[in-house]
Amino acid sequence: MAVDIGTGLIALAAGAAIGLSAIGAGIAEGRIGVAAVGAMAEKEELFGKGLVLTVIPETIVIFGLVIAILVIQMAGG
Amino acid sequence: MLRPHEMSSVVITGPKSVQEPIIRELHDMKILHIVEHSKNELADIGIPLESAGRLSETLVKARALISALGIKKEGAFELKKELLDVESNVNKLNGELNSILEELKRIDAQLAKNDSIRQELELLKGININLDNFTSCKSLASFTGYISSDVLRLKDEISKITKSFMLLESKAKKRNFIALFADRKSEENISDILKKRNFAQVNLANVQGMKGAASQNLARINDESLKLQKLRNDIMRKIEKLGTNNKGFLIASEIFLREQLEKAEAPLKFASTTNAFLAKGWIPSEDLKNSIERLNKAGRNKIYIQFEPAKSSQKAPVKQKNPNPIKPFQFFMDLYSIPTYREIDPTFFVFLTFPIFFGIMLGDIGYGIVSLGLFWFLKIKMPKAKNFFNVLILASLVSIIFGFLYGEFFGLEEIGNYHLWHALSRAKDMFTLMYISLAIGAVHVNIGLIIGFINVYGDHGLMAAIYEKAGWIVLELGVAMLALSHFKIIVISPWIGAVFLAAAVMMLFKGEGVKGIMELPSIFTNILSYARLMAIGLSSVILAVIVNDSAGQFFHKGGFFILIGILILVIGHLINIMLGLLGSFLHSLRLHYVEFFSKFFTGGAKKYAPFGLKDE
Repeated sequence: MAVDIGTGLIALAAGAAIGLSAIGAGIAEGRIGVAAVGAMAEKEELFGKGLVLTVIPETIVIFGLVIAILVIQMAGG
Repeated sequence: MLRPHEMSSVVITGPKSVQEPIIRELHDMKILHIVEHSKNELADIGIPLESAGRLSETLVKARALISALGIKKEGAFELKKELLDVESNVNKLNGELNSILEELKRIDAQLAKNDSIRQELELLKGININLDNFTSCKSLASFTGYISSDVLRLKDEISKITKSFMLLESKAKKRNFIALFADRKSEENISDILKKRNFAQVNLANVQGMKGAASQNLARINDESLKLQKLRNDIMRKIEKLGTNNKGFLIASEIFLREQLEKAEAPLKFASTTNAFLAKGWIPSEDLKNSIERLNKAGRNKIYIQFEPAKSSQKAPVKQKNPNPIKPFQFFMDLYSIPTYREIDPTFFVFLTFPIFFGIMLGDIGYGIVSLGLFWFLKIKMPKAKNFFNVLILASLVSIIFGFLYGEFFGLEEIGNYHLWHALSRAKDMFTLMYISLAIGAVHVNIGLIIGFINVYGDHGLMAAIYEKAGWIVLELGVAMLALSHFKIIVISPWIGAVFLAAAVMMLFKGEGVKGIMELPSIFTNILSYARLMAIGLSSVILAVIVNDSAGQFFHKGGFFILIGILILVIGHLINIMLGLLGSFLHSLRLHYVEFFSKFFTGGAKKYAPFGLKDE
């Protein structure tokens, strides 16, 4: 199907919103994860707290998702 | 359900003469959560019972036997023996095993020695000379080793130094091996020459003192090693037999000894004076009356028991109180943190929402059935993790229900020509599902705030609860009013929303200080976070559709390609199920731990662990 350049740019923007925020979250989560696993090796009961701390940056991706949805909606679906 | 079992603090005081029967009774009752006494100027900690030293010694022996005999701790065994029998039996077994192991060690050493002798003999095999020539003597120097260069030229060079020498050579491991004998006088000169020719000396320490040809000795050593190996196998069989014969006894005695030792060491947790002991702890209030009666009987009425119900400030251990269907979900509290004695136990709420969140995300009839089967199988395989799998089985059932609501079967919305009924198609009505998710989030977070309100109200009074928790609800209302009036959905002055907002900010500042102001947006990011209920599910659906489509293309080509299509279907859906299960589990867990619990949960309490009850 033929897509005009504007739609293409919108798709790119939506993809970038998700992709870039996911990279950011990945970097953050990786660092926290390393520390959390280290702490768990010392004290096993810390699993719950470690998990909570590790997943906190995930919200960034949710923001990315919201932006992506807004961008797509802006283009009229 | 929302509160733990009521606890009473108990102090048992009595003379040392009844200490042992009291300990025995406490161990049998499995009811007292002992609070360890720490040494102070009033009283020291007690000393273990007399038997403790001997018991721990025997226990160590039993454990050593279990590990040396390679016994796996499984199954239950009856032990119909007295302590003395157990002790003497363990000691006897220990002695038996030790002598066997010593024999084994001796054989292993001999085998290792034979091995190194054999290596040297293999080298000398090609040199036809009596081994006693290698015994060192005053007038004769001997060199043995590898040399890289030509042996004939070496012979020339040596003959220039001395006439009295003998050079023997052979091939060993694809290299030139030489044995060179010469008189002592020219030893240094010869070793200089050898050094230039990259001579690698091999020390023949092990063949010293042997007589006869190398090949003869080799045969003898091989023979000997074979016999030793046979002996070693016999011993290994003996050890194995010892293990199978005594498996039940050892496992049972390990448990028995551990229990006895626990009893014998209990006084270490008590406060003690010269003639009296004092034990502190907690007993669930409902068992209190019965326990006191039993203890008094065991203590021949010589003890004094003081008790009172747990007060708010005291840190009582927590025994969660939940009906059986909810109990498996206590697993999530063990994983995170035990709720304190004073606060609401959120297990019930986790029971309500965890499977639903899991179901919303996984939501597929086919995937639900597969995961149901998988977890059922794992539950039977691993009875120890029964609780965990019960939770997942329930979650899988809810996934199947949501699968019917979404009308999805392995990502397909129609099977053959039959179109599955659906209340909402995930792939098509993405936005509807997102709004539903956010609404669920708003409700969930507010339930959390209400629980938090009750907790704070109980601890710090009504005003604190209003400032700390109701402030957030007012904030939500304010923002909602502003947004709705902005989009002209309701017709009110934006000022009303602004007033709500300002009031909320002031309340939170009073309740939580500057930190509260900084955290203002968090409540909305928390609610937004529930969008993952849609997002995780959507990604799972899309992946399933891609797998189905690409397999479908192969099916259309027919013939051999059908096989490839089937392979793609199986592998693709397996991967997707694994991702789906992991994602749904972790994200559902996260929504509870991060978004929900942060609204009210303190945690950090000690779990009620009565004396005498084994950890599972």
